Amino acid sequence: MPHGGPNWQWGETVHVSTSRGDRRFDRRALLVLPGLAWLLAFAVAPLMLLAVMSFWTSSIFGLSRDATLDNYRILTDDSVYARVLLQTLRIALTVTLISLLVSYPIAYFLASLRGSRKSILLLLLFLPFWTSYVVRTFVWLPMLGRNGLVNSVLMQLGIVDAPLDWLLYNEGATHVGLVYVYTLFMTLPIYLSLDRMDPRLAEAASDLGAGPVRAFLRVTLPLSLPGVFSGCIMVFLLACGAYVTPQLLGGTTGLMFGNVIAAQFTHTNNWALGAALSVVLIAVVFLCLAVFGRRVRLDDVFLKG
Amino acid sequence: MKGSSLRRAALIGYAGAFYAFLYLPILLLVVLSVNDSQVIGLPFQGFTWRWFEEVWATPALVRAILNSTMLGAASAIVATSLALMLAMGFRAEFPGKSLLMKALLLPILIPGIVGGIIYLAFFGVVGVPPGLWPAALVAHVTWVLPFAFLTIFPRLHGFDRSIEEAAMDLGATPWGVFRLVVLPLVRPGLIATAMFAFTLSFDEFIRTLFVVGNDRTVPVQLWTLLSEQMAPFLPAVGVVVMAVSVLVSLAGFVISARADRGRARRSSA
Repeated sequence: MPHGGPNWQWGETVHVSTSRGDRRFDRRALLVLPGLAWLLAFAVAPLMLLAVMSFWTSSIFGLSRDATLDNYRILTDDSVYARVLLQTLRIALTVTLISLLVSYPIAYFLASLRGSRKSILLLLLFLPFWTSYVVRTFVWLPMLGRNGLVNSVLMQLGIVDAPLDWLLYNEGATHVGLVYVYTLFMTLPIYLSLDRMDPRLAEAASDLGAGPVRAFLRVTLPLSLPGVFSGCIMVFLLACGAYVTPQLLGGTTGLMFGNVIAAQFTHTNNWALGAALSVVLIAVVFLCLAVFGRRVRLDDVFLKG
Repeated sequence: MKGSSLRRAALIGYAGAFYAFLYLPILLLVVLSVNDSQVIGLPFQGFTWRWFEEVWATPALVRAILNSTMLGAASAIVATSLALMLAMGFRAEFPGKSLLMKALLLPILIPGIVGGIIYLAFFGVVGVPPGLWPAALVAHVTWVLPFAFLTIFPRLHGFDRSIEEAAMDLGATPWGVFRLVVLPLVRPGLIATAMFAFTLSFDEFIRTLFVVGNDRTVPVQLWTLLSEQMAPFLPAVGVVVMAVSVLVSLAGFVISARADRGRARRSSA
């Protein structure tokens, strides 16, 4: 399936030894230059510009390039921004926990299968994620809307008399959408770490007298923790940068930091403040990576198909 | 053993619920795309193809499909070429290699929304007008490149260096070695990578929305329609987008699985 390459980790060098052991500069290394140039021009440079812009000021006359800390001061003075940032981190955290609870049993189930049944179910797991997340988010409007599937089932069963209006356009809908859109990023690394595990280990535990719960808690669960870790970090980071799902499903109460950032560029035209808010979000993300990222197995998370 | 079969049944039941959670919304979308009703929603009022006909009859949507296809193809070609060169270069030792390896992942690690507005700010200051070429292309290639690299690198990493050395010893030029030895060996991997890159670009939204201007791609067009009004043909648009990406991904998956099997056969022989 998706893996099969060398298992290299974030923060670890990949050693590719040349068969000729000489210390002289290998000219084949020059082949990285076009990619390196692209990265510098279109990833590093825009990031640096964003950082610089966060110290500028936006006004009706455009951007003033005098360095100031005002944009960051707004963030601490105006509680709205701080509140939305905290709400975003809280939503990202609960979405991560829900995804973990939803994904772990299915990853466990898939890892326990063999043969063609396993391949088919894995393929079925990937299939929905091979399409745009705008579509995958949009499907929740007819699911949760007034004349949506959930409401019509509830009314058919006679559980409610009138369609429920509170299913959509709030924090709950944002949660459902985010879990739906990102759950593969949790399931896949957990599945891979369980699948790599030697099944004889759990058998040995039960041979030695451990009950099924104890064998799971003492053997299987600890061995799957690297996958759990990778999945949690991925989902948390993705949810922190969400824009589409809260915009489409969240109404006014389920908005997230991404929507606030976008509004600075599209509505209030305050690019400098938007840049500062972006820098804050990047800082949060990279802080998480610096603390937890060393244990993320990138090949588990990113390889698809 | 009664407990274990009970646990098994519970797991299977849970798996059923999980796959229902994955597929019910998609199934609903497909049903609604052929529902003969002016309102997006249930009940089902009868079968019709007219929403799909309306998709083909709307010039903005057809143009969006063309835009997405061209942008996806161009991004796939540029990103796969850059990724192949990077992967080949990474087989050599050079100073700063591990740093570059990490830097390559930068575009993936930047939060989605920042990945979008960053180009709005950058192109705004540099003076590149919004549009497909080059603004959206630049944004897409940067986004797709790390994935393309991560897909192609293990394939180059895993192959036998001695074949190349043999060709070199027999007098082949470096370009000849690449064209006659390396390229045929990695071609299935390259095709799979390019298809993967195509679907990533075809589906991309947040890094496109702010830089694409009026040359809307399908996801951006869908988004515009969603924020304007709930046009009844929206589910049909969703189904078209889904069909294209799933078919291309599936083809890439099959090609790459076949290439892996071939490689396993060769190395076991």
